Amino acid sequence: MDRNKISKWLKNPGKMANKYSFHVVYFCTGCGIIEIPPSITTRWDAERFGIIPVATPRQANLFLITGYVSTKTLAAIIRTYEQMPEPKYTVAFGSCPINGGMYYDSYNTITSLDKYIPVDGYIAGCMPRPEAIFIGVTHLWKLIDMDKADGYKRYREDYVHYRANQEQILGELDWPPLFSKENL
Amino acid sequence: MRELELYFGPQHLGMVGNFSITLQVEGDRIIKAEANPGYLHRGFEKLMEQRTWIQNFPLVCRINVVEPDHMELIYSMSVEKLAGIEVPEKGKYIRSIFCEMARVASHLFGAWAYANMLGFDTVANWAMYHRDLLLDMFEELTGARVYHIYLRPGGVRRDFPAGFTDRLVKTLHKIGGKVPDYNATFFENRLFQKRAEGIGTVNREEAIRMGAVGHALKAIGMKHDIRKIEPYAAYDQVEFNIHTRTGGDAYSRLLTIRDEMIESVHLIFKLIDKMPKTGEVFTKTPNPFKWKIPAGEAYVRCESSRGELGLYMVSDGGTKPYRVHFNTPSFNNGLTVLEKALEGESISDVGNIMISLYVVAPEIDR
Amino acid sequence: MINKLKQKLLSDFNDIQVNIPEDNRMIVNTKKESLLSLLSYLKNMGFNHFAMLSCVDWIDENEFELIYILSAYPENDEQYQDIEKKNIILKTRISREKAKFITIIDIFENAEPYEREIHEMFGIHFEGHPRLTPLMLERDYKIPPFRKDFDTNKYVENTFGKVPSIKERKEGKK
Repeated sequence: MDRNKISKWLKNPGKMANKYSFHVVYFCTGCGIIEIPPSITTRWDAERFGIIPVATPRQANLFLITGYVSTKTLAAIIRTYEQMPEPKYTVAFGSCPINGGMYYDSYNTITSLDKYIPVDGYIAGCMPRPEAIFIGVTHLWKLIDMDKADGYKRYREDYVHYRANQEQILGELDWPPLFSKENL
Repeated sequence: MRELELYFGPQHLGMVGNFSITLQVEGDRIIKAEANPGYLHRGFEKLMEQRTWIQNFPLVCRINVVEPDHMELIYSMSVEKLAGIEVPEKGKYIRSIFCEMARVASHLFGAWAYANMLGFDTVANWAMYHRDLLLDMFEELTGARVYHIYLRPGGVRRDFPAGFTDRLVKTLHKIGGKVPDYNATFFENRLFQKRAEGIGTVNREEAIRMGAVGHALKAIGMKHDIRKIEPYAAYDQVEFNIHTRTGGDAYSRLLTIRDEMIESVHLIFKLIDKMPKTGEVFTKTPNPFKWKIPAGEAYVRCESSRGELGLYMVSDGGTKPYRVHFNTPSFNNGLTVLEKALEGESISDVGNIMISLYVVAPEIDR
Repeated sequence: MINKLKQKLLSDFNDIQVNIPEDNRMIVNTKKESLLSLLSYLKNMGFNHFAMLSCVDWIDENEFELIYILSAYPENDEQYQDIEKKNIILKTRISREKAKFITIIDIFENAEPYEREIHEMFGIHFEGHPRLTPLMLERDYKIPPFRKDFDTNKYVENTFGKVPSIKERKEGKK
């Protein structure tokens, strides 16, 4: 743990403060919600890592997608992701967002989440243990230090392609494009 | 005042699970509620037709994420009924002990959800901690904390390890010794009584007309429990009571949940005393890839912690099931009873009523 | 008790077949015209719990089979009577080409979500149902998903498998 490196704090205090205080959006997307309450309560305390759940996406900067994603949930996830302020990070849980997982031949679940919203890291398992969640979060810290967790920057640059993929699955979307040529 | 349409949608602090309700409100009162499921639909019953009888067995437990053991139990019971397999005596006792442990863990999860939504964070943390102690017992027995994959057609997968029952009894004494603290902090607290009395009332004539199951019936005095009506596994060898209350509101439902949890702990002690010490725990089944079950149909039911769970299975003599249909308790309680119970209530009580009716979203969508 | 019920049913209705496979289940095969009167008859006898409505697709015989399962709520709080342990399974067949049937909401009110689900998954139309909108699905499938001629692997390949990754889109456009 590099909490004692005073030079890092002096160089970029905003990034260090952002990293050590993740606010998680409270959205139970799939199966994996069964291992989140043990992580936030007293036995495997997540608050010592700085993680705390908040009520609205406007106050959050980490989005945990716990498990498989169906097409109806995908619309809700995209709307929630677009409401979060930048910088924001996404972490996917379980083996279902990677390649479809156990429901690879289901007509209602998508097979790969990275094509629709940018994902910074994956935590494998079905379900992952609470210790695996914490290892994932510390790995995300390292990526933020090296400036490699840039999912939100990719979303801003390649928004046209992300939106084309979303429209290919969901049809005509109800909400206007987030970034257009004027405000990019 | 004008009417407004409000979405009590999937991303909400009062919602446990991925479920949405569309409300027509006027001021603070709800006029009409429409449930909107489908966020977790995977098409289980179609997926199960494309896998063999044993390959379905890890898929079945993911239907209800909070309490996967009764789904495995009901699938195993119906395959055994179609194929004509008998479970040995020790296997029946192990199945009952396992299901009662799952019932206690599920009720502790329900207590976490309800206390968290009302704001009693202390009690919520205690409930989740005690559930974790039980999940440690599950991990020692089966290897996983959730999704155990332990009850298979023919019995259970392996026997109890040496000294397991002593450790289980010690854990249950630790949980049971905290019940007076739970009572003093939560169940007999005046704030909880004011927050839950008279909310979401379902009276007897309405419950029968709308087909309710589970705690909505036990809270109006009806002893509807499949463990007594049509006993399965080892439930006919021990004595236990079904606790009921009169009142029909959220307060009575929470008290029946607490009483059922305490009764399950005592039931595990009685089952451990009566269990035979030696014996087989499963009967062998044929080679999984070539196992063909004769054509027929079966309807079995059991009592999960949410109500009556049923399964209708059709086989056409092949290696894969022809049609499987789960009749989950949340399908009825969450779509018919919930829409009726929400009329006339205030917006701040929606989560309250939904969790006290014990509706969990993946069971509705399957 | 169940044998007496079987005699009574066979004497009052003349085009049904009753079969008792084991102690607690009774299977009644009937034609679709007499299903509603059979349901109200059984409800008056004490079977007031509508447990489930299911459907099986027999594609080789070109028919759908609808299955209605009834049971009874406990009346007396002291001890269970014999009727509460029984389940009655009613089966009827309708044609697969023009699949439609009558709703039973007038007799059992909680059949409404079961009929909605069967309408969107199998394509059977229930006449008289007040709200026959999709319950869980959102997209339009050409064949209703639970029929036996809907191939899920091919569907997944054609929709989800054809979505390119972001890198491929960028290189393709360039």
